[in-house]
Amino acid sequence: MNKEVIKGSQNYIPVEIEDYPTTGWQKFKQVVRRSLGKELFVGLWVVLREMLKFNIHTVQYPEEVLPLPSRYRAVHKLLRLLESGNERCIGCGLCEKICIADCIRMETKEENGRKVVSEYSINLGRCIFCGYCAEVCPELAIVHGSRYENASEQRAHFVLKDDMLTPIDFLKEQKEFDGFGAVSPNADKLIKKTPLAY
Amino acid sequence: MTKFYIDGKEVTAHKGETILEVARREGIYIPTMCYISKVSPIASCRLCVVEVKGVDGFVLSCQTPPTEGIEVFTNSPELFQHRQNIMKLYNVNHPLECGVCDKSGECELQNKTLEFGVQSQEFSAKEQYRPIRNWGKIQYDPSLCIMCERCVSTCNEAIGDDAIELKFGGYSSEIVPKGSDVLECSECGECIAVCPVGALISTDFKYSSNAWELQQIPATCSHCSAGCNLFYEVKQESHFDNTPRIYRVKNDIEHVSLCGAGRFGFDFANSDTFGDFETAVSKLREAKTILFSSHITNEEIEILNQIAKTTGAKLVNPEARKFQQFLKAFATTSGETLYNGTLEDIENSNQIIVIGTKIATDNPAVRYAITRAYKKHRAYISYLHPVFDSTLQNTIKQFINYEVGTEEGVIALLADTLITNSNLDLDIGYLSGETNIGEEELETISKIGKRAKNRTLIVGSDLITHEKSENIAKYIGLIQKNSNVKVVIVPPDTNSLGVALFGNLADEVQAPTVGYNIEGDYTIASIGKCDFSVPALNQQEGTFVNIDKKVVKTNVAVPYRGKNLNDLANAILDNPKRWTIDYTSELFGVEFDELQDVEIVSKMYRVSGDVDEVEELPSFDGAVVYNSNPFLQFNPWTAKAIEEKPYLLGAKQFAIANKLSDGDMVRFEIDGEIFIREFKIDNSLKGVIALNPIFDKGLRSYKLLSKYRFQRVQIEKVKSNGRS
Repeated sequence: MNKEVIKGSQNYIPVEIEDYPTTGWQKFKQVVRRSLGKELFVGLWVVLREMLKFNIHTVQYPEEVLPLPSRYRAVHKLLRLLESGNERCIGCGLCEKICIADCIRMETKEENGRKVVSEYSINLGRCIFCGYCAEVCPELAIVHGSRYENASEQRAHFVLKDDMLTPIDFLKEQKEFDGFGAVSPNADKLIKKTPLAY
Repeated sequence: MTKFYIDGKEVTAHKGETILEVARREGIYIPTMCYISKVSPIASCRLCVVEVKGVDGFVLSCQTPPTEGIEVFTNSPELFQHRQNIMKLYNVNHPLECGVCDKSGECELQNKTLEFGVQSQEFSAKEQYRPIRNWGKIQYDPSLCIMCERCVSTCNEAIGDDAIELKFGGYSSEIVPKGSDVLECSECGECIAVCPVGALISTDFKYSSNAWELQQIPATCSHCSAGCNLFYEVKQESHFDNTPRIYRVKNDIEHVSLCGAGRFGFDFANSDTFGDFETAVSKLREAKTILFSSHITNEEIEILNQIAKTTGAKLVNPEARKFQQFLKAFATTSGETLYNGTLEDIENSNQIIVIGTKIATDNPAVRYAITRAYKKHRAYISYLHPVFDSTLQNTIKQFINYEVGTEEGVIALLADTLITNSNLDLDIGYLSGETNIGEEELETISKIGKRAKNRTLIVGSDLITHEKSENIAKYIGLIQKNSNVKVVIVPPDTNSLGVALFGNLADEVQAPTVGYNIEGDYTIASIGKCDFSVPALNQQEGTFVNIDKKVVKTNVAVPYRGKNLNDLANAILDNPKRWTIDYTSELFGVEFDELQDVEIVSKMYRVSGDVDEVEELPSFDGAVVYNSNPFLQFNPWTAKAIEEKPYLLGAKQFAIANKLSDGDMVRFEIDGEIFIREFKIDNSLKGVIALNPIFDKGLRSYKLLSKYRFQRVQIEKVKSNGRS
């Protein structure tokens, strides 16, 4: 075993490692030392000490849940326009197109001269939560939510439009999303205005 | 031949070619927005500008023929700037609604905007109120329109409807129906196809799918004998059903012009699975006669041939049999098994004579070729038919209205006119009198013919189904043999030519019969209620022989959950084949997948026959109807795909002669088939012959296809219109 100090810019620290036992006698000695030596009790003592201090850091999941950062990418949400309550999604299909896991499918139709999204689903069994859909969405309609508990009995596990869309009576509770794909704080400064003739 | 240079490359232009055409042929890219090769250059977009050494300013490459030795440059910083500015102008007030626009993803404005890197907009114009117009199957959104005029040119020059025009008004210009508030046209939808943006869209398809989600399946239209190449665009049926469904039909706009039936009549896939397989097999085994229609692929014909050979049954297809015998008689005087003209020949003609067909509805591709011949070469078109067709009045110079039933006399007169120094022994005075064709009319034809370089005679199914069809065919054979006139005999149904070539047909019908897509004692069909269901033609692969005598392929667009004819054959034949297309190599010597550019070549014969003398010509008195379908209809399959109410259409004269008024319900009988129709006065018609559609009659309409299309009928008024 090379015990020289390794020179170089990265400054590695060599770790002392005992030579491996080669003969049967040496192996026997190592087993006895490890199982009956005091090392065994060191670990037990550390646990006991922390227990007696009554200052435990364990998060009591599921009673207790840690707050998530806003850029966290969990199960998607479809948002509504805050003023009118209309769905933001215009059915452009960009999320469906950009999805690299190919797990988004939507169905559109015409209703009173407008394009309406009649069905929208994401197969969470396939979704890799990359966030491309939220990033590409021109209307900030599809965003990532914070629901990450999606254990399922099947590989294919779909969320449908109704599961993701903000219910109309909870519109007031809908928060403007500032996570993945959201408008950047300096967006106003970045916009170049188009000349308009009125 | 003109030699010149494009971007330093030496190229040669043929006579009449423009710089752009040469560049495209040589694979040199010049951006365009309004240019399509099938119409004359529109020159509205100005993107195709190029620089020519020694010439001040830019040159429009789409309409400028090159001169010897010029040096053309297709790209320079100035040109790029110029083109970028054009794109900026196109984008002024263009709604930013790509997210919901049907064209998004295949939009030429999107593509070119990106290509010329339009990052910002410096121009502005006052926004205007431009409401969306609904024209039935077509919707027009003026605010998305970029005024390239492709649609107007296509409608006028490639289709011949001349139904839309540009309403000039500077920035408020828009496309409007010509001469009326509503769009009156043949609903071919070609304007939708050529529109580079989402201004003209199909109302049915609107917002149902994004362009990139659809899978394109190349196929051949199965509605008429033109066999147009098209693409079925397929996606899952719905969100929760993965079965493919056809969402729309697209075509290669540079080379193919589709009709409305091809474009909108795609939804005829069979979803029924009636009948029991074992019964169907035993019925086929027992059948003495297998009846079939020409709505069939060549492979299926071969399968039927082999079944008939094994079971000893006779194959009967009355309509194709007539066509086969017509071609046989034609060969005796022409010395060739097939006619020598193609659609391309029609398009390049200077003189066209159409006889015995209502061509605009019988075969739209032929009509488009006629239109193009007129627009490109100012062709002189003579249309010989007892029924006046107002849809062709823009292109036709001479309309000759012969008497119903006198086709034999008409073709004899024509042969005499078209063949120089013909030694036909005709009683011209009698024929002219009986057919009602004036000698001066024939003189015009021969006079024009002397000047015309390329001449084409188009022969329709009235002549094929005529009582004296054999003699008529012989006269046509003479014309092909002894004159410079090319002949096109329009096959009456989708694959009539294929059946005539490959089918071992017989005449006699012996019970028990099995019908394949036609009514028999036991009916196997791909439509409606029948004894055993088989896939429709957009659910099958196979080949057709089209009007150009080319073998064209079609592919499976929609799956069929049931058995097809090959499965039935496998239960009967000794050497089963896995797929229907395994029979392709038996017919053409090439595997289906390798089949490409196969053309049926005419065999040469010694001329063996001569024309018979034209005897007494029949005359049709009383009420006469002509079996003819409207624009969007050809057969039961189009009737399934496009809902349309059939009307007996007649001119005012017909109404007066038969004491009918608009809206009356009438009843009449043709060959055992009872028709109960609402009568409608059509002001675009003339004369005393009414048009009777047969598309709604299901498989029974095939019985009428082999009959002479003019029929004398007893019209009975069932219910009077309240007003009369």
